[in-house]
Amino acid sequence: MHTGTTNQVANPNTVVWNSPGIWITYLLTTGFMHLILLSMPWFTTSVSWTLTNVLHGVCMYFFLHTIKGTPFETSDQGKYRYSTHWEQIDSGTQFTAARKFFMTTPIVLYILASFYSMYDFTHFVVNTLVLLLSLLPKLPQLHGVRIFGINKY
Amino acid sequence: MDVDKLWIVNEAIQSALQTPYHVIFEGLLVIWILRLIFSKPHKIPDKEEKLTAKEKKELVDLWKPEPLAPPVEKTLAETRPYRLVNGQVGKNIVINGHKCKNFASLNFLGLVGNKRVDDKIEKCIQNYGVGTCGPRTFYGTFDIHLELEKKLAEFMGAEEAVIYSYGFATVLSAIPAYAKKGDIIFADEAVSFAVQKGLQGSRSKVVYFKHNDMDDLEDKLKQQEKMDKKDPKKAAVVRKFMVVEGIYMNSGQICDLPKLVEFKYKYKVRLFVEESLSFGVLGKHGRGVTEHFNIPISKVDLVIACMENSLASGGGFTCGRHYVAGSQRLSAVGYVFSVSLPPLLAGAALEGLKISEENPEIFARLRQKASFFQNLLKGIKGIKLVGYPESPCFHLRRLHPVTPEKDLEFLHDVVDKCEKNGICITVATRTKAEVLSEWPASIRIAVSVQMSEKCLKEAAKVICHAVKEAFAEQRKS
Repeated sequence: MHTGTTNQVANPNTVVWNSPGIWITYLLTTGFMHLILLSMPWFTTSVSWTLTNVLHGVCMYFFLHTIKGTPFETSDQGKYRYSTHWEQIDSGTQFTAARKFFMTTPIVLYILASFYSMYDFTHFVVNTLVLLLSLLPKLPQLHGVRIFGINKY
Repeated sequence: MDVDKLWIVNEAIQSALQTPYHVIFEGLLVIWILRLIFSKPHKIPDKEEKLTAKEKKELVDLWKPEPLAPPVEKTLAETRPYRLVNGQVGKNIVINGHKCKNFASLNFLGLVGNKRVDDKIEKCIQNYGVGTCGPRTFYGTFDIHLELEKKLAEFMGAEEAVIYSYGFATVLSAIPAYAKKGDIIFADEAVSFAVQKGLQGSRSKVVYFKHNDMDDLEDKLKQQEKMDKKDPKKAAVVRKFMVVEGIYMNSGQICDLPKLVEFKYKYKVRLFVEESLSFGVLGKHGRGVTEHFNIPISKVDLVIACMENSLASGGGFTCGRHYVAGSQRLSAVGYVFSVSLPPLLAGAALEGLKISEENPEIFARLRQKASFFQNLLKGIKGIKLVGYPESPCFHLRRLHPVTPEKDLEFLHDVVDKCEKNGICITVATRTKAEVLSEWPASIRIAVSVQMSEKCLKEAAKVICHAVKEAFAEQRKS
């Protein structure tokens, strides 16, 4: 992206999750969202934790696995036009630091949510489904896979 | 620790032990995290980037167990020595020490050495200096650039024009600014080298159709339509383009613009016309192939032209609708990353446009002289004339070609003989990297409006004589 004389890559989406301070920002944002939910008096602790997990999982699925391409013009002739943000990270290299981070956070949230919901069955079902929604698209076997042609173009 | 908290933890552990499947699942997840920590980054091979047979062949051909560069003697033996030009190029040219009439430079309107243009250039140098030292987006936009863009848009009847600093790089940057990977471009197989590089740089799928063959193009468009019907979701996001030239550099033929506009609306394909040789040549006011066929310029999505031919300036321009031009200012490589056009060349182009507007009869005169000269040369035995009858730039080929090397030798022989007798013509150069490698060798002749009829008749005599001699020599050897 031509932004003057700075150090540039063709597609900034590939390196944004390696920028300094972005992991902390992400964790703080999630923590802040959780605190807001926790401060609602009509949510019990269990519900607010499960809700945090669900919101986190759904937002992650939408931003990382649904939206394709870039919102800005890149100088790589549209190479990532049909790739989701997850597939763009580190230009498709698997098991890099950013990817490991993204695979760990849903798991940590899941463990916390199931602990605070007292291992209740309904909460278990909801949390596990959301965890699968967060983890399965990140597997290297599903890189670039579009099931039933959904979201292909 | 608080008694309440201890109680909650105890409660949690109790409920955990009651749901063993949950604990097992969490254990598996922790094992997965450990696996993550110890796995190394690796790339998965691209499964979509399948190489076509042509690309595989190119890669295989690239590998040669030879030194990095062929021995210098071999390269020198294959190239011909340059013909050195001294002084100004205009109606007359001093080439290799011979004073000749210039039928090689694409100086159609005779603007090289024009007094008005030279005065304007001097004023511009005194006002702006020589270079701009910056691309358009980084302190390289001068008022004269904006003036020239406005004047060009007004001249062509388009909404907006964009200027580039190098004629070759104009079409090279304009095509990849719109066509990206995954798009389809239908291009004439005889497009010039600059257009071919633009097509290559766009990374789109390029489908070449036979030179100026509208039926072949329609076949290919229909085939694409059939494929689109099978996968409508893909077709909705794939952009399709057609790239043609107004007058082709490689053959002097004119494109069939009415048919192309018909195809544009029938098959929903965007139309780009490269008008380097038809700008300042065709049409009542020299606006190019759109004026020639009486088609409103808004019907062509992008007109690309080079100011180095008729306008005798430098650089190039494109013109089209506002949103089309705006896209180029952001993503055309030659506009964003190259230094802008020197103001003196912009001034020369402005003066050239003013002169064209004041003398609109110059274009009809040019075309009349061109067809006159073509008629004189048509009668030469053993030579085939290729080109649109009114085009000032046309080609002479051997009527019965022998082998490519022998034909090239013959043509160079003709050129040398003409040079000795005071007429400068040139063999149309092609590089080895061109797409259509079996294009027949030819002499490219350019007629300038400055040439008088007497001059043209003499030149025709010289060329005829040179051809006869060259044939005689070939028969002897």
